[in-house]
Order: sequence, then C-alpha cells, then structure tokens
Amino acid sequence: MRRILILFCAAVAALALGGWNSGDTLVAVNDKPGTLASAASSASGLRKGDFGPPQGPPIRAVLTSPPQVPAALNRSAPAKVIVELEVIEKELPISEGVTYTFWTFGGTVPGSFIRVRQGDTVEFHLKNAPDSKMPHNIDLHGVTGPGGGAASSFTAPGHQSQFSFKALNAGLFVYHCATAPVGMHVANGMYGLILIEPPGGLPKVDKEYYVMQGDFYTVGKYREKGLQAFDMQKAIDEKATYVLFNGSEGALTGDKAIKAKTGDTVRLFVGNGGPNLVSSFHVIGEIFDKVWFEGGTHFQENVQTTLIPAGGAAMMDFQVEVPGSYVLVDHSIFRAFNKGALAILKVEGPENLAIYSGKEVDEVYIGDRALPNVAAVTTAAEAAKAGALTVEEQVKAGQARFAGTCSTCHQANGAGLPGVFPPLARSDWLAANPKAAVDVVLHGLSGPVKVNGQDYNSVMPPMNQLTDDEIANILTYVLSSWGNPGGRVTKAEVTERRKAAAAVAAAH
Amino acid sequence: MHRLIALPLILVTAIAALATSAPLPRDSIYQLDASLTDQSGRRLTLASKRGTPQLAVMFYTSCKFICPTIIDTVLDIDRKLTPAERQRLGVLLISLDPLHDDPRTLKAVADKRSLDLTRWTLVQPKSTDVRSIAGLLGVRYRVLADGEFNHTGVLVLLDAEGRIISRSTTTGGSADPQFLDRVRTTLAEPGSK
Amino acid sequence: MRCFVALLSLTLGTAGAQGAEAVYVALPGGELVSALKYEDSGGRLRIAPFALMSLPVTNADFLAFVRRHPQWRRDAVAGVFAESRYLQLWAGPAQLGPKALAQQPVVWVSWFAASAYCQAQGAHLPTWSQWEYAAAADELRTDARSDPAWRERILAWYAQPSTHALAAVGLQPPNVYGVYDLHGLVWEWAEDFSALLVSADNRDQGDPDRLKFCGAGALSINDRDNYAVLMRVAMLSSLEGADATANLGFRCAH
Repeated sequence: MRRILILFCAAVAALALGGWNSGDTLVAVNDKPGTLASAASSASGLRKGDFGPPQGPPIRAVLTSPPQVPAALNRSAPAKVIVELEVIEKELPISEGVTYTFWTFGGTVPGSFIRVRQGDTVEFHLKNAPDSKMPHNIDLHGVTGPGGGAASSFTAPGHQSQFSFKALNAGLFVYHCATAPVGMHVANGMYGLILIEPPGGLPKVDKEYYVMQGDFYTVGKYREKGLQAFDMQKAIDEKATYVLFNGSEGALTGDKAIKAKTGDTVRLFVGNGGPNLVSSFHVIGEIFDKVWFEGGTHFQENVQTTLIPAGGAAMMDFQVEVPGSYVLVDHSIFRAFNKGALAILKVEGPENLAIYSGKEVDEVYIGDRALPNVAAVTTAAEAAKAGALTVEEQVKAGQARFAGTCSTCHQANGAGLPGVFPPLARSDWLAANPKAAVDVVLHGLSGPVKVNGQDYNSVMPPMNQLTDDEIANILTYVLSSWGNPGGRVTKAEVTERRKAAAAVAAAH
Repeated sequence: MHRLIALPLILVTAIAALATSAPLPRDSIYQLDASLTDQSGRRLTLASKRGTPQLAVMFYTSCKFICPTIIDTVLDIDRKLTPAERQRLGVLLISLDPLHDDPRTLKAVADKRSLDLTRWTLVQPKSTDVRSIAGLLGVRYRVLADGEFNHTGVLVLLDAEGRIISRSTTTGGSADPQFLDRVRTTLAEPGSK
Repeated sequence: MRCFVALLSLTLGTAGAQGAEAVYVALPGGELVSALKYEDSGGRLRIAPFALMSLPVTNADFLAFVRRHPQWRRDAVAGVFAESRYLQLWAGPAQLGPKALAQQPVVWVSWFAASAYCQAQGAHLPTWSQWEYAAAADELRTDARSDPAWRERILAWYAQPSTHALAAVGLQPPNVYGVYDLHGLVWEWAEDFSALLVSADNRDQGDPDRLKFCGAGALSINDRDNYAVLMRVAMLSSLEGADATANLGFRCAH
C-alpha cells in the first residue's frame, strides 16, 4: 500500500514538475515531505535545493528600482512570496533632449528587481495601468511552466492577473513581456531581472548594483531631438540607434553614477534585455574576481570581459582598490562611444600607489631607432656632405648602425657564435684582407670559411638594406674594434665595389 | 374565522410574491433576457433557472473533441456528490450551434449519455444570443467554414441567483478537486433548494 | 414618414466632426487574405458586401442612446454587462462633462453596451473579418498592408503615450472607402471578439495542442509583419464581454 502511495506521489510530482496542465488552473504545488524533494533530486539529479512547503506567513516582496537591489533575504526556509508588478507606459528621456515612449515594468527601464529564494512559492500579480494602450504579460526566465508565466498573465489595460510558480532553480534570470509583437515590447524596455537566491544565500559583499543593457531603435538618428518613435525595420535589421545601460544615456553617469569606497567588494547583477544584441561586458580598470557567467551556479575567476547573451544575465564580484571612475562598457566599442553604452562606477577613498601609481614619467620617445648614438649617424652624414668626415665620426656612426643589424648574429662584442657565426673580434680573416669585407656585406657569404682556426659553413645574407655610407661606417667601426688592425673603408670604395659587381652580373 | 385563515394566507403569498419578484442581483447572468428551447421542445428563459444552483456548460452535439469529455467531467462531479447534494444542483448544457442542435438532436444526446433529465437541461438558444451567453460565461468560440466550432471548454458554477461562483477549465473527464469543493460549498448554503 | 425620420435621426444622431458626417458607407466586399492563419479556410476569406459606419461612435451619439434606453445608463446597467468603470469619463450617468467631449469617440464601453447600441440601430458590431477587410485600406489603395510606410504609421500611433487626450473623430483623412479612424484613434470592438482564439502566450505559433480549443490549436499569425492586426488581435483576445478600457470604442455595421 505504502509503495503505491509513494508511486502515486511521485507521479503527481512528475506531473507537477513537467509543467502546468494545459495552461489553465495554476495552483501552488503543495509538497508532501519526503516525496517531491526526493522525487525531484533523484529523478533529475540536477535540481538541488530546499523544496519543502512554504513556511511562515506570506511575505510581500520588496522590489527596487534600478540601480538599487533589495537586501539579501537571510531566510532559512522557503516561503510564500507575493510579488506585485505594474506595467506603466510612459514617455521618458532616452538621451539629452530626446524622449521615447517606453513600456515599463514598475515605471523604470529596466523594470523592478525581484529577489526571492529557491524553493519559494511566488504568487505573481501583474497589473496593467488603466491608461495603457496595449495588453501585456510577463515571461520570467526563472519560471518552469508554459511561457514562463506568459500564458497565464495576459492582461488587458486596467486589469490585473495572477499566477503562482515555484522557484525551482537558483540563478539570475531575465523577465520580459511576451505579447506580440514580442520584439517591439522588449525593444520598448519591457525587461528586468529576478534573482532566485540559492538556499544558503550569496556570499556577502559591500555593495550590490543592478545594471541592464538594452538596444533601442528609433526612427530618428542617434541624439536627434524630440519624441522619437520606434522603428520596426531597424529592429528587424538589428541596426540599433542606441545601446544603453538602464534605459537612457546618462542613467548611470555624473551624479547618477553608482558608488563605492576603496576596499569595497562590489557585486553587479548585469542583465541584457536585448532585444537583439549580445553584450561584451567590461569594466575599464577592473578585473572581475568572480563571474557567475550566464547567471548560473558556477563562476569563473579573473575575467576581463564577459559575454552576456540577449535575454541573459551574469553576476560578478570584484574588489575596488584604487579610487577613480571606472567605466562600464559594452566592449563592442562603437556601442560605448557612439551609441551610449557606458556607465560609471565612482570609487572614492585614499590612493594606493603600490597598486596603481598614476603617471610617473613623461619623456620624449624617438621611435624604433631609439638607440643612444643615433646622433652620431646624423653627425657623420653632415660631415660627409661637407666633405670632412673623420674616422672617429665614421666609427661612431658605424657603431650605431652595427647594433641591431650585425650584432644580431656577430654579437655586440663581435664574438659571433662558435661553429655558427664567425667572430669579427681579432679576426684573422679580416686582418688578411680588410677590403674583402665590403663584398661580404654587399653580397653575403656562403660556403666553408676558416676564421681564427675554426671552420664555419653558414649562410650570411646580403645586407641589401644598408646604403654605401652605412656599410663604410660599419666596416670602419669593425676594423677599429676588438683588437682588429684598424683601417678605414670609404663610401667611394663601397660604391665602386657595388658597381663592379653589377657589371660582372650584367656581363653574364 | 375566515379572516383568521385569510390573513396568514395573504401574508404567505405576499412573502412568496416578494421572494420571487426580488430584483435579480446586478451580477447575475440571468439579467440576459434569453429565450431557450430545451430537449423536449419546451420554451424557457435563462432566468427560469433561478432558485437552483447550476453547472453551466456550452457545447454542441456534433463535437468530436472535447465536448464528450466536458460532459464526462460534469458526470464525474455528479458521481462525487451525495444524492442529497445532487438533488440540489441543476445542470445546464447550452448549445453553441442552434442552427443544427434542435430539441430532437439534444434529446438524442441526452438519451445516448443517459442523462438525468429531471436535473439536466439541454437547450437551444436563439442564434443571436449565442455570443452574448458565451460572453457572460466567459466561453470563447469560433465558427469554422464547415460549420464546426473551435471553442474553449469551461464549467461554470452559478449560485441560485445566477451569479458566477467559480469556473473551471479542467475538462479532461476528471473534475478539478478545488472546483468540486466549491460546488459542495455552494450546495450547502441555505437558499439553495 | 417614419422611415424618413428614422433615416434622418440616424444621420443626425451620428454626426461627426466638422465636415465629416457619419454615415454608413458601402464596402464592396471581396476576397481577403487574412493576417491570421485560419486552418479551415487557408486564410482566404470571402467578405460579402456590407456597410460600415464611417466614424467611430462618439460620446454625443452614445449619450443619445442612453437617454433613449436608460437601462444602459451607468447607474442602471447590470454588472454582468458592464464593469464598474463603464463610462467613467462622463460627468454623470446622462451627462458628458469636460473629460468626455461630444466629438471624441466614446470609450470605457463594454461589448454588451456596444452591441446593444448597434442593435438599437438595426445594425450590429462589425465582425473581425469585416474590420480586417476595411482596415487593410489606406487613402488610395484597398490593401496597403504590405507597404512598410503604412505599417510605420500604425506603429507610430503605438509610440504615442496613452496619457494624451483622445482626438475628435474624423480628423484623419478617410481611407479609400471613405471610412475614418480605423487606425490611430481607438481600439474597436468586434462582434466576434471572442472568436480570436489565440494563445495567451503569443509566441506559441503553430502550437500543436489540438485539444486546447476543441479540435484546433491556437490561431497562428500568417503575416508577422502586420503589426496593426497582431496588436488588435492581442488586445481583443485579452478582454471579456463586460470589460472596458480607456482606448477601446466601437462602430456599427450592417
């Protein structure tokens, strides 16, 4: 008999979990202790939580307007929670001098933030203001049931409807209106977030804020003044006019910036209502210590930019160490600077130079030839022009050019690489025939060669990038350095060798 | 001697007259002046059902999908009531299709399902009244090109005065227990004969 | 004589704004490809010729009606026929007042009240298909529905905040049939408003639940771009017969 009873309860539980029957009489699921919970966790293996019957008197949920978040619940048992949300259609500023008729949940874009605990039974009252033009409903992504509640909350203007659901999954979920045409209702600002806390609550932080990105489509151009109408074609083509945090440019800037003190841990509940665009969410100057990506159960650590899908959310915790203004952006960066997707987190408090010093040095920067003796090259060039080039000038100029060109293989001290690149220092090969070096630099050298008693058989490529005077200066420097016999190579000699080689090549 | 008998008689009839002519509550669906024909060809008004709580349902006889199960659901409620409770409840099946559902067709359905016609009434409304009756009961329906109907399945519980007490869209054959409770509570109230 | 008086009172009783006298205009009927996917007719409907009021019914018109039929005054009407906010903009049960100007369309009327008004005229509310047929037209064409500019105009009405006072009837240019204000002023009741069997969750397109409406799933939308229709369907399908709203009026057909 008992087995039959358990089977029956499990069947009821399965039916209840499988979704409400034909979208009609929705009732709160009354659990039989030891059946629904065990049936749930053993059947799915995925859903962990506290699903006992609601305890205590019904609680009226505290809803907040963005960017504020209701306080953490600090409850240890599931309860019956009554949520009352009103749809209000109203004209609000979307940018400086630009207004738009938004359709809102609770009078704001995004709509009010709802905070409940996993296992709660939520009795949801949706009201549609009497002067609304349109019927509306609500789909909460945290609801398990047809349409996420949309099937049971279709409300004409001046009416209210009610349905109940059990919050089975913890997480941060989007809610939005789902009345046809859905895209238009969402594009007009009908979205918000519902946080379903895990039974143990979330780790404690100092500040919690609510930010939601949305894309907006107006007939007029970006910042074109006046009341702007919704442009359905732009929405279909996904050509947003505005991409905004919390429904308007300047919603979270200036004195409306969100605030924290140095040393605070900050948590952002970030949603993306869409309707179309995915967000690459980033806070300039901060790294997210933890990101509960997609608003789910697991977190990633040390994240710079996180993807928030349209109709999705993410939660992130980070500690602010250094004072300043931290800009929240969609890192599809033209949206931030040309469509309005930016918000400010203002952090105040003492400086911490060990973490960030601010600007320390400001010097002249010369570019890619920024080596100490580049001046020597200029001097030599001018002297050569004047016909008064000295050996010293050539050596100095040659030294400047040697570095980075020849030193790569032959080393800055001319030592070369044993068995690979022949040395230039105290080179018997150079001493035997100094002027032969001109041809080596001009045309390269391959094949066996013996330098200082060692055999080498590498390939040196021709230094085609060097001009005649550069070659002359480099070789003069080489001959004067590291115990080499000294001597001088002039530009004329190099030019002559180059011409001779060209004639030989032409003759063949 | 006559006066002694006459006075109480006058009082009783006066009270009776008052009772039946007491104005209909403003939220009673019997406010609709609708003339109906039942399965035996008798003419009646909607308001003639006043005085007995009713389970009202809209259907049509050639319906193949949910109408049979709607009737099953009502029969299920009937079965779950005590005989005393059953006697206090009337059942009103109103046709969506008066063009085809005449007394003869209605009677055929009643016979086929062995419906207790002392309590169950099947009616054919005027075709101009169907949309209004549906509007009062909250039934939505569409007439198809072939004369069939698409409609919502609803059981409506009316009190003795014709006010809607409860509605149930559970019409799969087995009544919604909460709706059944409402039926019992309504039947237990004084004033329902 | 009676006929003439009736005709006269019909015209006088439904007088519109300056220059626009409400009359019944004849519509030729024909084939309509509906924006709704009717499984039984494939979405192609035959509309018989009919006549439609050129203007929505005004406060003045409705006042005349409640004077002749006092059971429809807001202090007399049964609650089952009209909710508690019936005619709430009027200053009194038979008195208009500053919030309900004579030439504004009457709103806060229920389907039952609107039906009674039309029946008193020997007419009826237009069916949904008749409304859809008449509303497909713009000033020059009988079917403007595929024109994006026409759709944008309709959407622009939805962008207007609903807190503005309603305009008087007849101020917009008439459509090609001579009918005014089918768009851009108020939602309108249809005789078979409760035939719009759509899922309350409008995203359930092609939902295969055939038991939901006894042999059919919810009506689907044939033409997703036709927002005018989509929104009207959504609106009417959310209402019951006794309901009324601030932006819902009506006109009659016969």
